Parts: sequence; C-alpha cells; structure tokens
Amino acid sequence: MKKMLLAALLLGFSTQLFAADSIKLAITGPFSGGSAPMGTSMRDGAKLAISEINAAGGIVVGKKKMKIEIIERDDEAKNDRGALIGQELASMDDLSGVIGSVNTGVVIAGDKHLQEKGITKIICPAAGSASMTQWADKADKPGPKDLSIFRFAAHDGIQAAMVVEEAINRKLTRVAIIHDATNYGVSGRDDLLNQIKLQGNKLDVVATEKFNIGDKDMTAQLLKAKTAGAQAILIWGIGPELAAVSNDMDKIGLKIPLIGGWTLSMSNYVDNAGKNGNGTLMPQTFIEEPITPRIRAFINAYHKAYKVEHIPSPVSAAQGYDAVLIFAAAVKQAKSTDTKHIKLALEDLKEPVKGVIATWVHPYSTWNPADEQTHEAFRRENVVMGMVKDGSVVFANEADKQRLIKQAK
Amino acid sequence: MDVILQMGVSGALMGLVYALIAYGFQLTFATSKSINFGQGELVMLSAFISLTLTNIGLPYWLMVPGGLLCGVLLGLVVERVAVRLALEQKSEGWILMTIIFGLFAFSAAENIWGRDDHPFPTPISSEPMHFFGISVTPVELSVAIGVLSVMGLIELFKRKTLWGKAFEAVAADRDAAELMGISAKRTIMLSYGLSGLVAAMAGILVSPITTVGPTMASALILKAFAVAVVAGLDSGFGVVLVGLFLGALESLASYYIGSGWREAPGLILLILALAMKPNGVFGKVSIRKV
Repeated sequence: MKKMLLAALLLGFSTQLFAADSIKLAITGPFSGGSAPMGTSMRDGAKLAISEINAAGGIVVGKKKMKIEIIERDDEAKNDRGALIGQELASMDDLSGVIGSVNTGVVIAGDKHLQEKGITKIICPAAGSASMTQWADKADKPGPKDLSIFRFAAHDGIQAAMVVEEAINRKLTRVAIIHDATNYGVSGRDDLLNQIKLQGNKLDVVATEKFNIGDKDMTAQLLKAKTAGAQAILIWGIGPELAAVSNDMDKIGLKIPLIGGWTLSMSNYVDNAGKNGNGTLMPQTFIEEPITPRIRAFINAYHKAYKVEHIPSPVSAAQGYDAVLIFAAAVKQAKSTDTKHIKLALEDLKEPVKGVIATWVHPYSTWNPADEQTHEAFRRENVVMGMVKDGSVVFANEADKQRLIKQAK
Repeated sequence: MDVILQMGVSGALMGLVYALIAYGFQLTFATSKSINFGQGELVMLSAFISLTLTNIGLPYWLMVPGGLLCGVLLGLVVERVAVRLALEQKSEGWILMTIIFGLFAFSAAENIWGRDDHPFPTPISSEPMHFFGISVTPVELSVAIGVLSVMGLIELFKRKTLWGKAFEAVAADRDAAELMGISAKRTIMLSYGLSGLVAAMAGILVSPITTVGPTMASALILKAFAVAVVAGLDSGFGVVLVGLFLGALESLASYYIGSGWREAPGLILLILALAMKPNGVFGKVSIRKV
C-alpha cells in the first residue's frame, strides 16, 4: 500500500514535471581546446536547427506545441569531465535527450551513466568505433538487451574502409600507419589494420607509429615511414597534431599522399597546415559547397547566424543539425517528452526526415547487441571523399558530387 | 646515416629552447638561490602578449622588443609578489609562492585568451632548406641564433658592465658584496628581470613551431628543469651543451626505441645526474666552510 502510494506520488510528481512547457535537450561536447572546432560547430549546427524549430512554434507533442530548451555542457575533450557530465545529466529526471560528444574517450567515460538511467543519447559527431562496439556482444560478455545510445556519425568502420579503398585504388602497396595515443587513434589504427585484412591484404604496412596529444615534432615518426619506403600515410588523430605531421612531411621532403579520418577537415588542421595540407584526403559526410538549394540555405544560415565565412567543421555542423531534426521527429512521433518513449520512436521512425546531409528513412532499428549497426544511422553511401584545397575542403571525386545532386532531386 | 643526422639536428635545435629556459633558472639561482617554478607560465604569458601585440598590428621588429619588455616586467612582478618576502624571512616560501603564481597565470591566460592553440605569425619562412642531406627550416635556425645571441649578450653584460659585475659579486658571495656597498635586493630584482626577458625570448622563438596555448610550456618546462639540474644550476654555458645533447637524445630515442619512449632518456639522465653528480655535470662543487 505504502509502495503504491509512493509510486502514485512519484508518478504525479513526474507528470507534473513533464507537463512543463519545454523539451529539455542537452548538448555536450568540447567547446574549447584542440577538439573545439568539431564541438562548437556541432553545437552551433544543432542550435540552428533548434532555433528554426522554436521559431516555428516548437514541436507538436500530443496536443500542444512545445519549444526545445537547451542545456549546454563543455566536456573540454577530457574523459573525467565527460564522466561528471554523464552523471549530472543522468540525475536530471526531466531530461528528454542528449546530443553530442566528439571524443571517443569522453563517450566511453560518460555514456554508461546515461544508459544506466535509460536516457536517450545521440552521439554526434564522435566516430571512434569503440563508442558503439562497447555495447555489442563480446566473447566473454553479452551486450545489454536494451540500449538508449544512438549514433549519428560516419563511424570509423566506414571511414577506415574508405581510406584503405582509396589507397588500393591508387595502386599503392606500401603504407605507414600513424595515429595518436588516445582511444580514438588506437581504435582507428585497429580499424585500418582490420580493413586491410578484409580488403584482401593488398597493402603492406611498413611502419606503425604513434604520437601524443600536444606533440609538435613528428620528424621521428615520419622518417621511419620514409626509410621504410611508404607510398602513403594513413593517419588517425585530431587537428593540431595532424597539421604538425603535414608540416614536418614538407620539412623532410616526404611527398606522398596523406589519407585519414574525417578530422583532417578540421579548421585547426586546414589552417595550421596551410599549403602543406593541399591534397590531403578524408571521408566526409558533408562538404561546404552549395550544390543544392537545401544545402545552400543551411550554409548561408550558418554563416549569417555565427558571422563566419567558413564553418570551422562543416561535417560536425551538418550532423548536429540533422541529429536535432531526427530527434525532433522522434519527439513528435512519441507524442511525449519522456526520454524512454523518444528512444522507442527513434528505433522505428515512421516518417522520413529531410535533413541537410540526406533524407533519413528509418535511420535506426531496434537494438540488437549482435549488430551495433541497428543504432548507427550512416551507411557507406552517405559518405564521400573530401580533399583539402587552398584552405577549404572540396569533393575529391566529381562523381560523388553529381551523385548527391541527383539524390536531392 | 642521414637519418641520425636529421634526427639529431632537429632534436638539438629544440634542445636549445630547453637550454634557454634552463638559463632563466640559473640567473635567479645565482643571485638569490631561488628559482621561479612558474617560469613556464612566464614563457606562455609572454608568448600570448606578443601574439596580442602582433594582432593589434605591430610589425615583427617592434613586437619582439615589446614582448621582451613585458617579459622583464613579469619577471619583476614574480620577484616582488612571490620571492622577496620569503627571501627576507630566509624561508623557502618562494617554492610554493612561485608555483601559485604559475597556476594563477595559467588560469588568467585561459580566461583572457581561451584554451585554444593559436598559430603565431612570423616573417621568418618555414620553407625547408637542405644541407648535406638534412632539412632545416629558417624558423628552427632562428631559434638557434636567438637563443645563443640572447645568452651571449647577457653573459657579456655580466662581465663588462658595472651592473653586471655587481650581479657576479652577489652571485659569488652575497654578504661580502653587501659589505662592498652593492645592494643585493636590487641585484636580485635585476636577475628576475633578466630571467623574465629570457622566458619571453623563449616564448617568441618557440611559438611559431609549437603554436601558442595555455599548456604550451608545460612539456618544455619539465625538460628545461632537467637540463638545468643535469648541467648544474651554476654552470653558465653548460646548459647549452646539455640542452643540445638532451634534445638530440630525445629525438633519436623516439626514432630508434619508439615514439612512445621519447621522454624516457631525459628522465634517466636526470636520475643518473642526481645520483652521480648532484651539483651537475658542469656545476661547481660547493665548498662549505664551517
């Protein structure tokens, strides 16, 4: 009896909270430090979508329209901050969802708290494989039956496949792998090695080298690649250190292609590498070229709202924008601000969501611990190869551009 | 062979920056037997101030003296707020005080300039030049020239001018110097000012290579400290040799042992030096009269 009373009380309490007039959405990410271009672009892209939704009166939830209220948290790309923020968000009982995280280590430190409380999170734009594979079945431990964590980013599995494919297409046989010593870099290296095996062992890895966050002198690693006769460098790291690699490649006269994860499009890579960055290749989910009216509108709105000429990380901005649209569609379908209902709606989105990257048709399905793709939105066809050219990222292959234009029509 | 040379030279040039910061430790240690544990933050603050000077439109040749002047002022501030009182009381309080000053400077920099790394513009080209099969950039060469010339000028100042001679006298024997009418207080201020100047020079020289950010000096300072201790805190130009050696050793270790082992040789060297030559390889054995 007592228990029932308590439950009734709690229920009353929570409905009262849910009856509030806003949908609470947390946005987390590194808004300062080396990862900041990704974090702030994601945040600003997401905010752009939110302000458009709010300007139109909000989302129809059941019978009334509700606006989105943003809760912002800077994780500084630090794992310990990520864990604290995860705990804090998990303790809010009226939170509808979380969008964000750039760094794989932060995701691993923070998401377990959200999963424990069943709070719906869309990881965006962290791409490290471990962010999702941590929930998948493993030999010694089965994954959770139910998962409230989704991802909206081209995960490293796809990206590594494209990087290896690019090297093989260029008829290269000897490559060096260089990566940073973080969770992201190490899991990227494993993905690359795995993909080389999967694609028929056509590439011979002649050197595997690593560097630390903050390192500026990459001569040792590059000379090893050079003396081993590498024909390309496959790389996994973040902006400032990647720029140091490009600059040192120029210094020691190592003129071979640099191909790596999407982070090679970060402004702090492109700007700090300058002309040494020209020709660098990386998978991209979005390229800042107004090839369709929808994309043009998004780019112009971003430039105008944040008074910039270039989006610091276009991929993050576009993904942040589309992630909010998908989240909003789930809220509308769930007719509720309850995070658990939103999760169920996300797993079975009925209506296609017209985003800036693509039109998302049923991006997620019910979680299956044997196949983490069920909670991954991006497939190979959503990703194109980008190339650095005079300070910005352009399509590396004209065919990709034409394909996207055609798709939009 | 080319590889050894390339790695050695690249590393040694960075090693000169360690030497310059280590020299800053020496300057204050000579006069006051105290060192500024916030020296790294002085390097960082001066670099940020120089960057700001550049951003408001000062040309390079005006920005450098401006940055150096700020370095001197910062050095004097450290002496006034963190060191003087402790020395007057003959306590070791300056250790904690200079660390606190460093932490304060770090927070201030984060709040004023943010936590991001900024590129540092320089008119000196970073196009590599090739000598005997190795590549060196003019920026790296400017580091070498800058370090050696600033150290040379300060040594010249110490030997040839009246103020410099006062400096040497206080370093040799503070009490005797005071009896000769030399103000130890002023000399200590001078040494902190010079040490600030050296820190600012290090910041201006190294920033085009490392970029400017609040944490830019944290890795440098530990190595500079190792250089100062291994060479000896009163070794003068000894720091240059040890700096060159440590820089080259680091580079070669990361090539031959693996990039994860970069820092190891420096630390082993530090332990060996402390165990076998506690006054430093180039230090003078102190004779204490009882």
